[in-house]
Amino acid sequence: MNETIRIGDTTVRLIKGDITDQEIEAFVYYARHNLALGSGFGTAITVRGGPDIQKELDTLGPIETTEVVVSNAGELKADKIIHAVGPRFQEVDLPAKLATTIRNCLSAAREHDISSLAFPPMGVGFYGVPLDLCARIMLATFQEVLRQSPGMREIVICANDSREYEPFRQLLQNFSTTKEYVQ
Amino acid sequence: MSPATNTERSHKAQKVLERFDKKLSRQVVSSLVSCVHCGMCTDSCHYVLANPDDPSYAPAYKADRIRRIFKRHFDWTGRVAPWWVHARSVYTDDDLEELKDIVFGKCTNCRRCTINCPMGVDFATFNRMARGLLVSVGVMPEGVSVVSKDQWEIGNQMGVLKEDYIETLEWMAEELQMELNDPEATIPIDVPDCDIVYSINPREIKYDPRTIADAAKIFYAAGEHWTMPSEGWDMTNFGLFSGDDDLGGAVARRLYEKVSDLRGKTLVISECGHGYRSTRCEGPNWAKQDINDFAMESSVSTMLRYIRDGRITVDKTRNTTPVTFHDSCNNARSCGFFEEPRELLNLVCSDFREMYPNRAENYCCTGGGGAMSMSEYTPRRLKSAKIKAEQLKATGAKIVVTSCHNCVDGLSDLIRHYNLDMKVTQLVNLVADALVIEPKAEAPEAAVPVATADGELAGYTILVADDEPDLVTFVSTLLEDHGATVIGASNGEEALSLARAHKPDLITLDITMPGMSGDEVFVALRKDPDLRGIKACIITGRPELRRLIYERPVTPPEGYIDKPVDEESILTNVKKILEVHHES
Repeated sequence: MNETIRIGDTTVRLIKGDITDQEIEAFVYYARHNLALGSGFGTAITVRGGPDIQKELDTLGPIETTEVVVSNAGELKADKIIHAVGPRFQEVDLPAKLATTIRNCLSAAREHDISSLAFPPMGVGFYGVPLDLCARIMLATFQEVLRQSPGMREIVICANDSREYEPFRQLLQNFSTTKEYVQ
Repeated sequence: MSPATNTERSHKAQKVLERFDKKLSRQVVSSLVSCVHCGMCTDSCHYVLANPDDPSYAPAYKADRIRRIFKRHFDWTGRVAPWWVHARSVYTDDDLEELKDIVFGKCTNCRRCTINCPMGVDFATFNRMARGLLVSVGVMPEGVSVVSKDQWEIGNQMGVLKEDYIETLEWMAEELQMELNDPEATIPIDVPDCDIVYSINPREIKYDPRTIADAAKIFYAAGEHWTMPSEGWDMTNFGLFSGDDDLGGAVARRLYEKVSDLRGKTLVISECGHGYRSTRCEGPNWAKQDINDFAMESSVSTMLRYIRDGRITVDKTRNTTPVTFHDSCNNARSCGFFEEPRELLNLVCSDFREMYPNRAENYCCTGGGGAMSMSEYTPRRLKSAKIKAEQLKATGAKIVVTSCHNCVDGLSDLIRHYNLDMKVTQLVNLVADALVIEPKAEAPEAAVPVATADGELAGYTILVADDEPDLVTFVSTLLEDHGATVIGASNGEEALSLARAHKPDLITLDITMPGMSGDEVFVALRKDPDLRGIKACIITGRPELRRLIYERPVTPPEGYIDKPVDEESILTNVKKILEVHHES
């Protein structure tokens, strides 16, 4: 099950799966301000990746909303993790902060020569970012950044279940600003 | 209807009011407007009975904390004469924190007050609504946050990873094959077109895998064509407790989709009160989905049907210890599911004693509504459990049976707290114990995995920390007999020091020790970069453990064992944690 489009030189692919278990250069983790990995995907990162990830994060935090840090990924299949503190729980200026967070993730990827990066639907689920809003902002921000700064080979949007998958699928299918669909 | 704007109102308070409007269903509004403050609900609440001098526990008082917001913004009486109807808004984040303390910390949403209200006020429904409003702005107990995030992102509320789930099922299948001496006894995973798809509570994987093995044994004896799903297997739903309908819908949909993908005929829900209510009753509404292609039932109904249809044979003389039955609030009050477990109990136990009051009038175990995950309220919860403890004691039973995992934990805690001479079990365990299975003839011995009796733990270093010398000796001797190198510690400081010196593979840790508690030692281990890789098994008779499981400032322990301990539970858990497998 996948949907794919191209934005400039970059392939944007939608999949369904566990983002912490992907064969990819790096993935984004929606982090806490203090960078404690905590529960949810944080548990998966800790258990599968080993204790060194939190150890590294202890030297990098805390960070503010929209900021990101990059850590190694321990024993995970990925090489790096981009820890991004996005907006949460209906906070003020949520859409703008979400877009900035995504820009900062792409910028950090470029600085670390990451050419293949997986994003979760940013902030949906526990942090309450509405799915439709998230999908629109993510794709619009990808388009904005990738056209200004090409070089990323692949972006993977990794949905956790069909509830998350469906809005992105619909948006990708109707992504009319670029006509560069992969056959 | 829309809330009045107020420039002095905090952002979170404003967001709560904006969303309040969207949650006002006919059911909620009728409950918000119809209270006549007659006081009939007061004596129905276990919190009130344990705190007779504190009116803030009265259901009508608690309901009024939510009702006054409704009156202020959404009801004409509050707009016209707010002073007359005690209408009041929320303005600050402190107001929200105060509301949090009431809706999460002073009510388990057990609905006992609801059935005792002559006006039909369903306080639990709008208490849950208020929880959801607070969660939407991030105001919730830490434990609720941890569990919700686990269920959103990992797919189950205890953060069990897929590989651990599969491994535990394989381990239980192996145990089953040994017990039944039949290599064909198995726990099938993702088999399509089965008559039964069996869903469970993640607590069973993490802390009580015997319930899975017992269910598998019953399916085996019945010759059932069944399977467990590899994903979407968690039938619990923390959305019921947190009030987050989106979470409720997401969890329910994952489960329903998996059953449909497998083309299963019946989704069987293992014994769990809130899981049953969420999956069978509330889930389709949250998921906005009609369920037409498969049926849903409790495993209690499944087991009862097997006996009625002669598919399994049980011998009730195998369970002679006096038992009583605790009705889960969600099963009994919210789903009317209370006769089936009694019928089953009477078929598999020879001495069943009713507890009074019972069925829909039964008192909450005090662990419902997510209370087990909110350790800041543990003293309050255990105090309110006094009425339940008196109920249990009056039965004279030695075993309390319940069809709910939350109740198992809630009852276990109160039994320890009030020093009752009882243990808790579930129907699946009693049915499995009563099963009469003809021995398998001519089983090919070579194909059956055989455990090596001694030396299974050779090469492992295990630190045993407990302030009871007898327990250290008992556990150490047992582990040494199985090949482990064992170091003993009698207090927390010593345990931490020895852990640094020896870097053991595993530490078994008592929670309550003089000086540095096991809880503190565990957190110190997890926070120390050099020691955080040491596996930990908590051995405790106290409920402080809940904090480690649910609030998780650090990675949770790999296992836990309730006191009093026995050889089997220690060896089983230690081997599981160290991933010591039987040799084929």
